[in-house]
Amino acid sequence: MTRRMIGALVLAVLVTGAAVATAAFASSSATPGVSKKTITIGGTFPLTGPAALYAAIPKAEFAYFSYVNAHGGVNGRQIVFKYDDDGYNPANTVPQTKKLVEQDHVFAVYGSLGTAPTLATRDYLNKAGVPQVLVATGDSYWGAQYKQYPWTIGFQPDYPGESRVYGQFIASKIPQAKIGVLMQDDAYGQNYYNGLLQGLGDSKSKIVDVEKYDSTATDVSQQIVKLKASGANVLVLFSLPTQTIGALVVTTKIGWKPTTFVNNVSGSSLFMYLAQQAGAKIDGDITATYLFDYTNNPNAPSAKLYKSIVDKYDPGANPLDSDIEYGFASAWTMVQALKEAGANPTRASLMNALTHMSGWKNPFLYPGVTMTTTGTERFPIDQQILEQYRSGAWHPFGHIFSKAR
Amino acid sequence: MRLRRSSLAGPAVAVAAAVAIGVLPHWLSNYHRSTGADVGVFFTAILALNIVTGYTGQISIGHGAFMAVGGYTTAILTHDHGWSDLATLPAAALVGFAAGVVVGLPALRFRGVYLALTTFAVALAVPQIAKNYPGFTGGTEGLALPTHSGLWLYRTAWVVAGIVFVAAWLLLRGRTGRAFRAVRDSEVAAASSGVSLPVYKTVAFGISAGVAAVAGSVYVLVNNFVNPDVFGLQLSLYVLIGAVVGGLGSLWGVLVGAAFVQLLPLGLTSSSLTSSQLVPVIFGAVVIAVMALLPLGAANLLHAVLHFGSRSAQSADVPLGTEGR
Repeated sequence: MTRRMIGALVLAVLVTGAAVATAAFASSSATPGVSKKTITIGGTFPLTGPAALYAAIPKAEFAYFSYVNAHGGVNGRQIVFKYDDDGYNPANTVPQTKKLVEQDHVFAVYGSLGTAPTLATRDYLNKAGVPQVLVATGDSYWGAQYKQYPWTIGFQPDYPGESRVYGQFIASKIPQAKIGVLMQDDAYGQNYYNGLLQGLGDSKSKIVDVEKYDSTATDVSQQIVKLKASGANVLVLFSLPTQTIGALVVTTKIGWKPTTFVNNVSGSSLFMYLAQQAGAKIDGDITATYLFDYTNNPNAPSAKLYKSIVDKYDPGANPLDSDIEYGFASAWTMVQALKEAGANPTRASLMNALTHMSGWKNPFLYPGVTMTTTGTERFPIDQQILEQYRSGAWHPFGHIFSKAR
Repeated sequence: MRLRRSSLAGPAVAVAAAVAIGVLPHWLSNYHRSTGADVGVFFTAILALNIVTGYTGQISIGHGAFMAVGGYTTAILTHDHGWSDLATLPAAALVGFAAGVVVGLPALRFRGVYLALTTFAVALAVPQIAKNYPGFTGGTEGLALPTHSGLWLYRTAWVVAGIVFVAAWLLLRGRTGRAFRAVRDSEVAAASSGVSLPVYKTVAFGISAGVAAVAGSVYVLVNNFVNPDVFGLQLSLYVLIGAVVGGLGSLWGVLVGAAFVQLLPLGLTSSSLTSSQLVPVIFGAVVIAVMALLPLGAANLLHAVLHFGSRSAQSADVPLGTEGR
């Protein structure tokens, strides 16, 4: 046997043994993840892969927890936040979530991102009685299916709630509307479309055309051309960022000038910037938001706090990236829930706090948007305001649309 | 003397490995037991790929698709038809066999990279098909399955792996295995010796896919969840990497290959030394390093160790299990 083979044998043995042999630390306290000095939470996020643009979110959350820890933590405990990369692939999310629960003994799984990853781990976590809280996805399952999954709760407004706002606005403010809808042909698009119909009410007869695209298709030119031909003067986009950017560019290219609504998760300033770079004329486009408007209020206390935390704890981040705002708003909510869970928090007391938000005023949300939940009403954020794109930024206008449930 | 040594050493190693795998969970946490179950799943899947690629020489880079077929068979039968989960495994094997025969048909006309691309297309297409029939497959939302303890999953995965291993060993050491290897080594020579190429190629694909489907079934039980993203391209590639690292054309390196693709990325991710963006880079670098050190896979190394002292140096080039018996 050659020396190289001995080396390779050693390598093979090391590789095989390394992960298996990792020792497990058993938690001594009654509540997993809670010690005298620390409280450990964890989540899974796409740090790599197709959704890696969202990697700024856990980093921002980590930064906010660091800020809170530097100011004494929560009820004397430091927050330990472990986040793992699942690459937006549920096949990775499952073992990583099991690791967080069984190996790292987290108190709660917090903020995990994506609909499919959340669905993949929801049964496991609910059977184990582990809170799966403030998940970063806007599907309505989390708030709607609480009877079956009491340990799961979302954070942001759900998709139908958002499109309901567009429907209400169109019904009341654009009487001559002839509406064309571009939607993704899956649950995501259907969720949005159902909300739009609710919001429109009797005005739903003003929908003149609905064009669908397969979620794997990236070119939506055909659909946009058909929508223009239908005579629509209002265009509502329920699409993902890539298709949204494409739709905005094609609309401009074919000389169509409808009043355009862009859904929130595709309406980040970054994506709008990309569309503009590609030749789209997007001034006047409308979306909905629930986050604080830093662009127009740079001297507000919220904006100063935001900037100081970014500067100190998340250097290198682009403060205009709305994912950072999102991360701060979510982390603030988690800290507030941990505070209200009491001096000796349990998993049950955490869920109790999250399902009894009494109009929490989150400094990172739009002023006037409050967080309220009850045992049977489990959508933490249910208010939004419309905003219009002008000269390179979103500008909120009008009044806050409140719970319409 | 020489025959005696090699015929005893193989089974001895297999028995030792089986005993080690059997007693290991006593020292493992619940989490590491389910990790161990994942290794068992990959053991079965890599073995499956080895049958068609390693022994028969038909390259497949789409075995994740057959795992998807098995996984969905198990998920749909338990979720919608009330089957007990273990009862679905034979059904998955049958459905997988049928799928394998169908995909194997192009293998009659395509070779090498063309066949590889065909299987690649299948790997891309199957998850999309699942997405398009949400009433049947649960669509992107997926289907949730009952949860099991880590120990149950570990035992299930490894009992299945053990059965498949013994069956594959019996199959490959005999007449069928010899025919497979003949097809791999020279199609012309095989055909002129009376080996029917169409029959053996499609049978190899069918058996391989059936075994991969069973691996997919157990995979779904371990994850207690299925949706199209679970069976993405990464899965097919990991199975292929595991087969190459373990050693194509040999059963004895499969364990190393399975541990490699399942434990190394997990170990790297858990390690605080590496940032997650570096994990794929390090994994890729290690794969290259292993290829450079062990071009014939771990099986070759094992072979060399077992025969140390009794064989001349040239024996190291022949993976165990491929030598003529």
